[in-house]
Amino acid sequence: MIEITGLKKRFGQQEILKGIDLTIEEGEVIALIGRSGCGKSTLLRCINFLEEYHAGTISMDGVELWYRCDKNGNRVRRSTAEIAACRQLMGVVFQQFNLFPHMTALQNVCLGPRYSQKVKPDLAESIGRKVLTDVGLAEKVDAYPNYLSGGQQQRVAIARALAMRAKVLLLDEITSALDPQLVGEVEDVIRNLTHEGITMILVTHSMSLAREVSHRIAFIDDGLICEIGTPEQVLDRPSSPKLNEFLSI
Amino acid sequence: MNSNDLIMLLKASGYSITLSVGAITGGTILATLLVLLAFSPSRILQFIYRVCMWVIRGTPWLVIAMLVFLSLHGMSIRIGRYYAGWLALSICFSSLFAEVIRGAIIAIPETVFDSTKSLALPRLIVLRKVLIPLVLRQGLPPYINVCVMTVKGSSILSVIGVWELTYASREIIERNLTVFQTLFAAAAIYFVICFILDRLGRNLETRLAARGFAHDLAEGKQND
Repeated sequence: MIEITGLKKRFGQQEILKGIDLTIEEGEVIALIGRSGCGKSTLLRCINFLEEYHAGTISMDGVELWYRCDKNGNRVRRSTAEIAACRQLMGVVFQQFNLFPHMTALQNVCLGPRYSQKVKPDLAESIGRKVLTDVGLAEKVDAYPNYLSGGQQQRVAIARALAMRAKVLLLDEITSALDPQLVGEVEDVIRNLTHEGITMILVTHSMSLAREVSHRIAFIDDGLICEIGTPEQVLDRPSSPKLNEFLSI
Repeated sequence: MNSNDLIMLLKASGYSITLSVGAITGGTILATLLVLLAFSPSRILQFIYRVCMWVIRGTPWLVIAMLVFLSLHGMSIRIGRYYAGWLALSICFSSLFAEVIRGAIIAIPETVFDSTKSLALPRLIVLRKVLIPLVLRQGLPPYINVCVMTVKGSSILSVIGVWELTYASREIIERNLTVFQTLFAAAAIYFVICFILDRLGRNLETRLAARGFAHDLAEGKQND
């Protein structure tokens, strides 16, 4: 469904991604693990084009997403409208929730359907209420983010991503900013989503979550996919010394 | 100082208020245009913004007022002292308003734009639904601050012969030498105007706080 080939990204002189190749099947849940700074979050951000990348392709169902070739064969950015259309295929949930502080939970969630997808206001609202109910926040629809706990805010953020009815969900260390006792409620939401067959790419530091929900785990080291396989292969029988070292910490 | 003088002071304060409101409006419009320069992609326009800041902010209000008045006079543009004063005051405070707006914009965390991008929101919607509401909320306290300064700053227009509260007090003093009574009365009127402005600002802040904003400042953050 998503095919990434030869993805390279650098910040200034420093090369963060050094040629990532990764194919993700429809309905698959894939976890990206690795040390801080190894490039896993950058990879996720590149997939949503929150970061531009310098080489390589990211395609979905055979169509390259963010760049195209012009008449002379140069690589050029797609138009703003095309980029917006591609972004609607994905939902992103961020580590710091990134909710809009001046909007209620429901307003946060309805914004995408209402204005990106031009859904009628009443339909957008019913979508919003439904997804908020799905993440267990039916009573909190009118609460502002400041009045919600971290776990609740993150669930609103997940609902906001789901409201776009995206095919793919990108989750960027979504439990890292939470108190330990709040992690569970957010992980529960993710577990429920795996039953619905949504394609998910999650960056995580939680090996237990990665083992539990993902079909495959990719270990990223120094800008490359160092090892990839089923949770059992990667976590129980790591073949590379680097992964072995990473897991033993 | 008799009751006629007091009525005169109150009448003059009406002019001060009109001038201030006019300068706040004019200054804000000018500031918005200036801020557009500051956030334009062109380096040259950004530089022009900074030059405007240096010049306007670095020049005393009194000097700007005289410059505006005298150069309009020199160019034979006769718009009257009142409008010249309004223009001068708007220019003086445009730089302060511009920095307030710019500050409120750069206070918006970058992560907000990650959200608007990933939600694929159109630019106009981002402006209307996210940017402007956040700027209004973050910029409100310093904005009210500059508004209060504008009210007090309107007094310098007396120098270019604009009849307002300070000018009127000087007239009264020159007529009947009641220096302290008159000045105290004028100061009290300025105080009341500024106080009302401050209350209005606070009122707005609390109302916004009730809508999920600055809540942590208003009544202690309820978290987790």
